[in-house]
Amino acid sequence: MVAAGFVDFEITSRVDVYKDAPQSSSAAKFGTVGINFRARKARDDDEWARALALLSCTV
Amino acid sequence: MSAKAESALPGVSRGIEGLDVDRLRHAIQEEYALVAKEPERGFHFHTGRRLAAILSYEDEWLAGVPETTIASFAGTGNPFSIGPLQPGENVVDVGCGAGIDSLIAAKMVGAAGRVIGVDMTPEMLAKARAAAQQAETANVEFKQGLAEPLPVKDSWADVVISNGVLNLFPDKLAALREIARVLKPGGRLQVGDILVDKAVSDKGKRDIELWKG
Repeated sequence: MVAAGFVDFEITSRVDVYKDAPQSSSAAKFGTVGINFRARKARDDDEWARALALLSCTV
Repeated sequence: MSAKAESALPGVSRGIEGLDVDRLRHAIQEEYALVAKEPERGFHFHTGRRLAAILSYEDEWLAGVPETTIASFAGTGNPFSIGPLQPGENVVDVGCGAGIDSLIAAKMVGAAGRVIGVDMTPEMLAKARAAAQQAETANVEFKQGLAEPLPVKDSWADVVISNGVLNLFPDKLAALREIARVLKPGGRLQVGDILVDKAVSDKGKRDIELWKG
C-alpha cells in the first residue's frame, strides 16, 4: 500500500463471507476471510516519504 | 521508486512469474459473466440479497437499486461501512460488476457528485447500465476496462471504492498505483476484499482454478 502511494492503511473488519456458500471452495484451506480496509493517498511527496521511512527499521 | 527499492519493502506484491495473465482474465470473465447471467446458479461464494445481509448492507442503501443488480452482487466486503461518501464527491468503483456499489455511491454523492464504474466483463456492464437507466440514475457512468490502466483521468476521484476485486489482480502494486493516480491528493480508498491467513505456494499462485475459488 505504501509503495503505491498510500498512507493510513487500516483493516476495519473481518467477516467469514464463504461460510455455507452453495459450492465448496478453497477458502477454508487458506483461512480466507472477507475484509474491509481503508487508506488515503498521501497529500504530497513529503508525507509519502515519511510513510516509506517508517517501513525501514533497524533491529 | 526503483524496482530494487520496491522489492525491499515488506508486503510488496508484483506480477507472478509463470502466471498466464490472459488466461486468468479470461477465466475470471467467464465466471463473472455467469454471475451476471445466472446469479441463482450457486457459486463458491454467496451472492445477492443474502450476501448483502451478511455484509451488513443497510436497507436504506439498497432502496431503489434494481433487483437484477442486487441478484448479481458478489462482493466480499462493504466499502460504505468504512465511512460515508459525501454529497458532491467524485467516486470510482473499480470492478463494479452489475453496479450495486456504484448505484449506492451515486445516491450518497447526489446530483452534484459523479460515479464512474469500471469492469472488464461485458455481461456485468450491460446489467449495470440497464440498472442505472431503470433507477433513473444520471450521475453514474460505466466503462469497460481493466484496473491497469483505469479509464479515468489523473486526480479525478475523491474516493475509490472496490469490492472483492483487488485479490483478482495479478500485479497488486500496479493496480494500487493506478488507483493512486486517479485519486486526488489525500483522496480515500475504501475497499472490501479478502485476506488469506495461510501462505499460498508459488505453484498455487499459478493455479488459475485456485484464483477462481
